Formats: sequence, structure tokens, C-alpha cells
Amino acid sequence: MKYKLLYTGVLIALSLMVLFSLGSGIWGGEAGGHWTEQLFRGVCHQIPDRTFVFMGELMAVNTRCFGIFLGLLTGWGLIPLLKNRVFKKKWPLACLLFAGLLQIIDYSGNLFLLWENTNSSRFLLGLPLGMFSSIVIADLFQST
Amino acid sequence: MEMEEVNQEQGNSFSFSAYWPSIAIVGAIFSLISFVIGLYFGYQQINSEPTGSFISPIMISSGVICLATAFAGMLAVWHYTKEVSPFMKLGQGALVGFLTGAAIVIFSTVLNELWLLIDPEYTEKLIEATIANVEAMDLPADARDDMVDAMAQSMRDQSFLRQLFIGIPVPGLLNMGTAMIGVKLFAKKEDEISF
Repeated sequence: MKYKLLYTGVLIALSLMVLFSLGSGIWGGEAGGHWTEQLFRGVCHQIPDRTFVFMGELMAVNTRCFGIFLGLLTGWGLIPLLKNRVFKKKWPLACLLFAGLLQIIDYSGNLFLLWENTNSSRFLLGLPLGMFSSIVIADLFQST
Repeated sequence: MEMEEVNQEQGNSFSFSAYWPSIAIVGAIFSLISFVIGLYFGYQQINSEPTGSFISPIMISSGVICLATAFAGMLAVWHYTKEVSPFMKLGQGALVGFLTGAAIVIFSTVLNELWLLIDPEYTEKLIEATIANVEAMDLPADARDDMVDAMAQSMRDQSFLRQLFIGIPVPGLLNMGTAMIGVKLFAKKEDEISF
């Protein structure tokens, strides 16, 4: 595997991001102005009724963002295991584009009142987007 | 062929002076975009009647800004590969992405501070409008008061350095990710060099 230092650094950073996104329930204090919420304020709308509750407190990011962050970490963790399955293959990019398309369809359907998405559906659709965003660069870490 | 050799040498040796233009140009453009979007939704919040809805303009703006700026890292890599050298290592791309994310936060924080010279009451008006919206929400009185106090405190405790310290890590990491995708999409690898 190439770029081991970069891989480890990003793995630690993504792990911290997921841990921080769990919010005040795990880090102490109360939701609303908590430092974990301020950390993600620039990247997430943090609408309370679109946010999971963790250990009795609202998480620091909404369900879709949490799905994406968890997916990024999961995908990053899978990189060393994928090896030849991704080397010079097109399927990760195709899956990433499909996951992005699913987000657009889900958001548009909700916006135009065709259906009402839920916290679970937002989380479940965010998960593959994050995961394939990591997997799409997996071949760059392979030595062969 | 000579040009390719020169470009490859640039790709192998990391020189900040070669990367800064891409970081600065893309960072400046995207910070301006995020500043304008933030201002648009901010004034929309100020000038609208409190609806009591959780989905307020100021809440929407952060999601829109995130979407708009997350691709800056990828664009900085694209700019570098077009204007400087087609060769770029993954680690170099990651650093360019993180620094582009940091540049966006720094530039947009400076622009926000400058805006306060034009409209010194902007922050106060935004806090008042946000609180008015929270007060119109159908929540238990205790929860509403706690929410108002927390929001007011977090919006007022925004010193310049604090905004940078707390604002850079997450956008930096997200742009690092898109920049690495940019390396995959736009940068030439060493085994693609044709002699």
C-alpha cells in the first residue's frame, strides 16, 4: 500500500470528525451552542427535527451529514481491503455518481412534495455517497 | 518531451510557490460565493417575519454554502494541473485541498468582518431575527429559553481568531477529500508519461 502516512492521518481525522459529529451527548454539556455544533456550523444546517438524538442530546450534524461522514469513514476503512477490486476499475466512480444522483432525486422529490423523506432515509442515502467518495480514490493507494 | 520532463520534476518536488496561485484564486472565488450566499440568506432572515419554522433562511444557508464550497479543493487541483503542471501526487493534492478549504474560511471571515464596517448592526439584527424565529416556535418554554440563550451566546462569541480556529478543520478536511478525487480525475500519474 502507498501513502501510508497520508492514509493514517486521514483515517484519524475522519474518525475524529465522526466522534465530534455525535455532539454534546458524548462530549458533555447540552445541545445548543455546544462546541461540536460550532465546529460543523459552516457545513451543516443542523435543523433539530432533522437530527438524530444521541445519548439524550441532539447530535451536532443532521442525519444526511452524519450518514455522509460515517460513509466517508467506512469507505476509508475499506481501502486497504479492496486492493485489486478497484485498480483501474470504473465501478467506484459509477457508484459515486449514482449515489450523488440518488441525493438529487431524494431532495427534489421532497422539495416538490412527491414524497416526504425521513431521518432514516436521509441517513441511509448519505451513507453510500460518503462511502463511494472514499472508495473512488482507493486505487491511488494500491501499490500494483 | 522536455516540457514533460520539467513538469514531472515540478510534480515530484513540492514547492509552495507553485501551489499558492491555485489555492488563492480558487479560495478567493469560493469565499466570495459563500460570503454572498451567507449575506443573501442573512438579510432574508432579517427581513422576513418569524415563522417559527426550524427551516429558516440562516439554517438553509450553511447547507448551501457547504455544497458550494466542498468542490473548491477539486477545482484548485484542476486549476493547478491546467496552469502549472499536469503531474501531482496524492499527498500534494490533499494539502492543496486542505489549504484551499482554509483559504475559503479565512477570506470569507475577513469579508464578513469588512461587511460589519458597512452595516455595523448586521450581527445584532441577525441575532434578533433568529431569536424572534425561535420564540415563535411551538416548543416548551424552558426548551425555548435554553435554545435562545445558547444561540445568542454562540452567535455573539465569534471573535476573529475563534472563527478561524473552529471554522477551518471541517471544511479543510472535506476539501482535502474532493482534492484527492481531483488528483484521480485530473492529474497525470508517473506511469502515464509518454516518452
